[in-house]
Amino acid sequence: MLIEYVDVFISGMTNGSVYALMAVGLTLVYGVSKAFNFAYGSFFSLGGYLAWILLALVGIWGGYISVFLVALPLLMVFGYVTEKLIVAPLRKRSDWEIKVMMLTLGLALFMDNLFQVVFGSRMKSLPPIVDGVLEVGDLVVSYQDVVIFILSISGILAFRWFLNNTRIGMAVRAVAQNPEGARIVGIPKDRIFAATFGISTVMVGLGGVLLAQKYFVSPSGGWDILVKSWVITAFGGMGSIRGGLYAAFILGMLEAFVGYWFGMTWVLFALFGVLLATLAVRPQGLLGKWG
Amino acid sequence: MGALMAIIYGGLALMPIFVGGTDHLMHILIMILIWGVVASCWDLIMGFAGIFSFGQVAFFVIGAYASAIVANKFGIPPIFAIFVAGGITAAIGVLVGLPCLRLKGAYVALVTFAVHMILEPFLKGPMGRAIGTGGSRGILTIQPIEIFGFAFTPDHKVAVFYLTLVLAILCSIIILMVIRSFWGTAFLALKDSEDFSASLGVSAFKYKLAVFALTSFLTGMVGGFYGHYVGMLSTRMLGIDLFVTLMIMLVIGGIGHFPGAILGAIVTVTLNEMLSPLGSYRPLILGGLVVVLVLFLPDGVIGLVRRFFNGKSKIQEADA
Repeated sequence: MLIEYVDVFISGMTNGSVYALMAVGLTLVYGVSKAFNFAYGSFFSLGGYLAWILLALVGIWGGYISVFLVALPLLMVFGYVTEKLIVAPLRKRSDWEIKVMMLTLGLALFMDNLFQVVFGSRMKSLPPIVDGVLEVGDLVVSYQDVVIFILSISGILAFRWFLNNTRIGMAVRAVAQNPEGARIVGIPKDRIFAATFGISTVMVGLGGVLLAQKYFVSPSGGWDILVKSWVITAFGGMGSIRGGLYAAFILGMLEAFVGYWFGMTWVLFALFGVLLATLAVRPQGLLGKWG
Repeated sequence: MGALMAIIYGGLALMPIFVGGTDHLMHILIMILIWGVVASCWDLIMGFAGIFSFGQVAFFVIGAYASAIVANKFGIPPIFAIFVAGGITAAIGVLVGLPCLRLKGAYVALVTFAVHMILEPFLKGPMGRAIGTGGSRGILTIQPIEIFGFAFTPDHKVAVFYLTLVLAILCSIIILMVIRSFWGTAFLALKDSEDFSASLGVSAFKYKLAVFALTSFLTGMVGGFYGHYVGMLSTRMLGIDLFVTLMIMLVIGGIGHFPGAILGAIVTVTLNEMLSPLGSYRPLILGGLVVVLVLFLPDGVIGLVRRFFNGKSKIQEADA
């Protein structure tokens, strides 16, 4: 009995770490440019499909390390170009916030059906990143879970280091705090917007690669991810990376235990209930600032 | 606004003279009327009240299921059941709106969209089955609306069409009245400067909640009407492609350009029907279409027309 709980706990930790990575990517774009990306879930599937192409179709040499080396830069370029081509032109308009949401929702439908047409509706599975299990007494932990956890946490830490210690990272923070001021001191605002969009695409795409080996890749599997990332972001507080981290682990746990006790269909209800309750009591989320 | 609305509905009212014999075309006309109301409600929420609601299809489906269940389980005549359904939908709308309407746009969009996302597992799951949604099978028999012993079944398309027309005109008049009323002025003021209008005593939250409840009511009622017309319901309506189709109506009509949404419904329903032979490529095209339209048709068809008659339209807008 206890061992089962530990299993559920580990599953919650693993999923929570990937959710944290993806929620940070979502809150980054919203925090910096106030653009909300409804195609975020489709970018998740894109990451999964890229990994599947490289591993199963191409049979790339070097396994997952090569996948990361090839797929992550591709995702970065994809995000950057998408922002430049279809999000940036809208910024000039007065009602651009809602237009961005509508446009990215259309993009999501487009991408989902493109996946469907190209890859078929059958789910794709990926091989685990590492085989084998770690046995401690009765407890069995797969190395896959451990590696996924380590990779997502390092992703977040690398991102935090980038934000705090590099010139581009500082420029990103400057634009988030005061877009006008940033422009006055010569920070190329538009390029920062596109870059953050690219970075967030990398984060959710990496999440796709990591989760696709535990679950599957399917054309419309991203919607769940969009809603979960959003709930985590709102629960943890918009624009707060630390809040997002706590929220991701709390909700990852909630998901694991609700799924274990009541079945997976109840997970979305539980998440939604927590979200509404949080917004009613504490609109800014756990650690967020107002607004 | 009113004149254009009269022209559109007047034109539609004459259509059965030409195509009254063809059931398929009549069905398309009925769907144009139904989606025209739903899109107009969405326009009222988003274009005029500035609430980024993404729950419009969800409210439509809630209304459809509520009306069918109320009519089937409690034997309430469908003509009253659709109003009950509207009330239920409005109550759910308020329940969802209360925690999030004070917050910024993206919150409202995501919370209402989350309602859309959890509605399907709810209707298919044990909770839904308990209240009579029929699980993943859906509701297979819904009685038609009956007035004075005449049943508006799909066999009497022309009769159903005119009943829908009456309902659509009523809903549109209500929407028009809201836009022209004190509420509409309040929303205009809130859009121009939220802080200043708040200082003058305009309560953004109160008006937003009221308009949210009203449009939920209308959408739910029309949803109920739809259910009684087609006679069966399933959760397939909650697919993203229908949602995006509704969005295309709004983009083509122009957000905040009532009654553009009705024009958008005419164009989009027709277009969608023409695309249906393409099968799985249809949603692909719809998705791409949204991207293109949002980028290149900023104010919709109405905006194009207004720009065409340039200076004159500005004055008209000020009058209206």
